[in-house]
Amino acid sequence: MTRRLVLVILWTSVVWGADMLPTPDEIFDKYIQVTGGKQAYDQVKTQITKGTLEFTAQGVKGTVTTWKEAPNNYISSLQIGGIGDIEMGVSNGVAWEKSAILGPRIKTGTERAEAIREATLNATLHWKELFTKATVEGVEKVDGEDCYKLVLQPKEGKPMTQYYQKKSGLAVKVMTVVSNQMGEVPVTITVSDYKNFGGVWMPAKTSQKAAGQEFTVTIDSVETNPEIPASRFALPAEIKALAAKAEAAQ
Amino acid sequence: MRARKSPWRIAQILAVSVPLLAQTPAQHQLDLDSFEKVWSTVHNTHWQEKPGGLDWDAIHAEFRPKAEKAATTAEMREVMRAMLARLKQTHFGIIANETYAQLDPNAMGEGVSGIDVRVLGKDAVVVRVDPGSSAERAGVKPGWVVHSVEGAEFTPLILQAQANPEIHELQLTRSLEAKMSGDPGKKLRFEFTDDQNRQVEMDLMLELGRGTLAGIGNMPPQRVWFESRRIGDVAYIRFNFFLDLVRVMSGFQQAVNDCMRCQGLILDLRGNPGGIGGMAMGMSGFLVDRAGQKLGTMYMREATLNFVVNPRPEVFPGAVAVLVDGCSASTSEILAEGLKDLGRARVFGTKTAAAALPSNFEKLPNGDGFQYALANYISEGGKPLEGLGVTPDEEVILTRKALLAGTDPVIDAALRWVDTKGRKQ
Repeated sequence: MTRRLVLVILWTSVVWGADMLPTPDEIFDKYIQVTGGKQAYDQVKTQITKGTLEFTAQGVKGTVTTWKEAPNNYISSLQIGGIGDIEMGVSNGVAWEKSAILGPRIKTGTERAEAIREATLNATLHWKELFTKATVEGVEKVDGEDCYKLVLQPKEGKPMTQYYQKKSGLAVKVMTVVSNQMGEVPVTITVSDYKNFGGVWMPAKTSQKAAGQEFTVTIDSVETNPEIPASRFALPAEIKALAAKAEAAQ
Repeated sequence: MRARKSPWRIAQILAVSVPLLAQTPAQHQLDLDSFEKVWSTVHNTHWQEKPGGLDWDAIHAEFRPKAEKAATTAEMREVMRAMLARLKQTHFGIIANETYAQLDPNAMGEGVSGIDVRVLGKDAVVVRVDPGSSAERAGVKPGWVVHSVEGAEFTPLILQAQANPEIHELQLTRSLEAKMSGDPGKKLRFEFTDDQNRQVEMDLMLELGRGTLAGIGNMPPQRVWFESRRIGDVAYIRFNFFLDLVRVMSGFQQAVNDCMRCQGLILDLRGNPGGIGGMAMGMSGFLVDRAGQKLGTMYMREATLNFVVNPRPEVFPGAVAVLVDGCSASTSEILAEGLKDLGRARVFGTKTAAAALPSNFEKLPNGDGFQYALANYISEGGKPLEGLGVTPDEEVILTRKALLAGTDPVIDAALRWVDTKGRKQ
């Protein structure tokens, strides 16, 4: 038994050692394995997530609810004090946003591609469909822990760098450049507090730093495979009106 | 021996007293701390890696010895100003503690008399009186001049501020407003020159100001009001802050929709000091029909952000006039200049506050005020608004005479233009 344990440790040190880095497949496989396994992910077809959002330095708080349906229908509804409601969604390939401040708009180009990628349910299982290239570039410390640095090139948009703890296999940090209509903004995301939500372990806390601001999203509950009416993912009337206007202009 | 020692002792005391009168070691340390605060704030927050294209560490090496040698707070102030002047950028300034204390806009109380003033020449002239306010009930009218409040005369303060280029009209006006405010229920003694040029003294009750309290996060709540009405075939919209987002955006949308086929729209941003920058983009979406347009670009250290316009499903097609004055700042300037640059609006009034950037006022350890900008903003026409402001297409200066006659020459000029434009179309 002891010998077997030693062998396992030796094997592990060879496979996950600094000289022989794991492949992207191995990193994702381990992540899937430690967060519930492929079978658990496969069982998730719909999901409703509820949580809170806080810009700590600015003292701005809000709530966030997301509805997801495989493969990539998605609605996110934010209610933020002093700013009002912001809804974002992907409805059958149309990526959109509407808010009290900016009104309705349809996302195009890289922004649309990013929205669809974000909307993909169980994206980790489908990473090869979402990224054209993946490279493990080495080991770096994140909060004192050795992490594999994995660089992913999406079909559209800037590369994304993800950090997976060597020891636990969990993702802990993501660095990317988010494209939206206002420009490209470098974003650093740290994830923590993994919790079991319906058989899949997800980070309950996500902190994002971008353009000198930082906010944290804390997930309070995840409902797995709830019945979500199709109307929930229907395009809002203002988005339909914009789409009709754009079509008429062509 | 004693008699001979005394002069020596006095000389000793004098020798020590001279520097003591200039600065105590504790004060010198506060001044040095202030110097470091100014230097490090620019180092850490300026939108350029090399602030103003300078090696900011070398600037520290050059100015720190001068700061150490500064014998008085006034000398230290000059060292800090000289250091900031190297940036050759506006909205970096040191305001002397004494002046800062006198002009502190944070001293604003929640109770007001309902008077809105502007500095015309050397006078604080009433430009608006809120309906139902204690000032209106007492008979105060636009065009009256406020001479003093509670014995504090305004003219010396105005002259002092006008002599200091670092104090702009907006800040001066805010400080005058602060002196006319206080706790609700309190009475303040006002001295006016009325419409008959008589000196009038009256006690005005301070009451909660017009509008509803609204803020965002840690920002202190402000009383926000929104008004819209029709002037003939023209929609007139005015609000005092780009805050209370949902109510103001909804009011704006309603006003535009109610007058969608009107000949023109007047957006009165006079006295509006700004607020949430994104609201400028949102409002533009009701006025600009072409997709892919932007009002301007904000340059921060970590990102460059475009102030884009999302045209709404239905966009107002008529003429748009924007009214501004020296108290229109920040988001007001971004919106006014952006619409002007896009050829969508004609701007009337006087030059704006030239305070378009997110800039902070902080108190330094020695009590001086320190203003610094966090980002640069370039309007779509390529012009930085910071320090330059929006120059109206048509300069229209408010006069006491016009106010006393019950007219608003700025609105009148905008109406004439809308009418002319309408007849041409």
